[in-house]
Amino acid sequence: MGLVQRAIEAEGIPTIGISILKEVTEKVRPPRSVFLRYPFGHPLGDAFNIAQQRTILLNVLNALESITEPGTIVEPGYQWRRHRFE
Amino acid sequence: MAFPKDIANTVLVQIYRRLPWLGPRWAQRRRFVEGRDIPWARLTKPLAESVVALVTTAGVHLKSHEPFNMDDPDGDPSFRAIPSDVQRGDLIITHKYYDHSAADRDINVVLPLDRLRELLAEKRIGGFGPFVYGFMGHIDGLHLRTLMEATAPEVARLLKRDGVDAVVLTPA
Repeated sequence: MGLVQRAIEAEGIPTIGISILKEVTEKVRPPRSVFLRYPFGHPLGDAFNIAQQRTILLNVLNALESITEPGTIVEPGYQWRRHRFE
Repeated sequence: MAFPKDIANTVLVQIYRRLPWLGPRWAQRRRFVEGRDIPWARLTKPLAESVVALVTTAGVHLKSHEPFNMDDPDGDPSFRAIPSDVQRGDLIITHKYYDHSAADRDINVVLPLDRLRELLAEKRIGGFGPFVYGFMGHIDGLHLRTLMEATAPEVARLLKRDGVDAVVLTPA
């Protein structure tokens, strides 16, 4: 996914990606990322958990606006199925 | 009848679902294209005035689209353009390398269409790009070159044509 992200950014459009594998993101080096230690298939969390999906998407949009250093990986640190989203 | 390698893949997908800590170990063994210089574009206006588009590598596409090729072990570097006002029932996921049972029930788990529509209604973003672009990820071998030199730059140009100011990408 980071390769697609890099291509879009290279065309002049700012991008942010969700990462669930930090090891890969650190190698591919997309411009902006939000990392969540979540299982494959769950980048925005659980099905029908609207508060969780919304919080993560807002975190992503905030990171898009606030990151100034290329390659930054923001880590909200939400533990899988432990963090309570309100 | 399923081939033995398909059964092995299905078992593997379930193992990774149940043991998420295996993910980083998988990543260590696999080779990735390593980036050096990082491309950089600035947001030119507040998000509340920006058109935001979604791009995903979770294998999402319209039911009317040709499915991604699951028979090639190096994946499928092509993409599908999905109108962003799509109805949930018109979408399907073709991807055998992750467990998409949650996303099959609620697409927002991999592609937050409803959540972004809500943020648009609340005027947190200025617009929603007219198309979502769907890839399948899991690209390897010769297809990496096709992705990097042809299909990913093509999507970048299409996003420009769409008048998009910023892009959110979601994996699987």
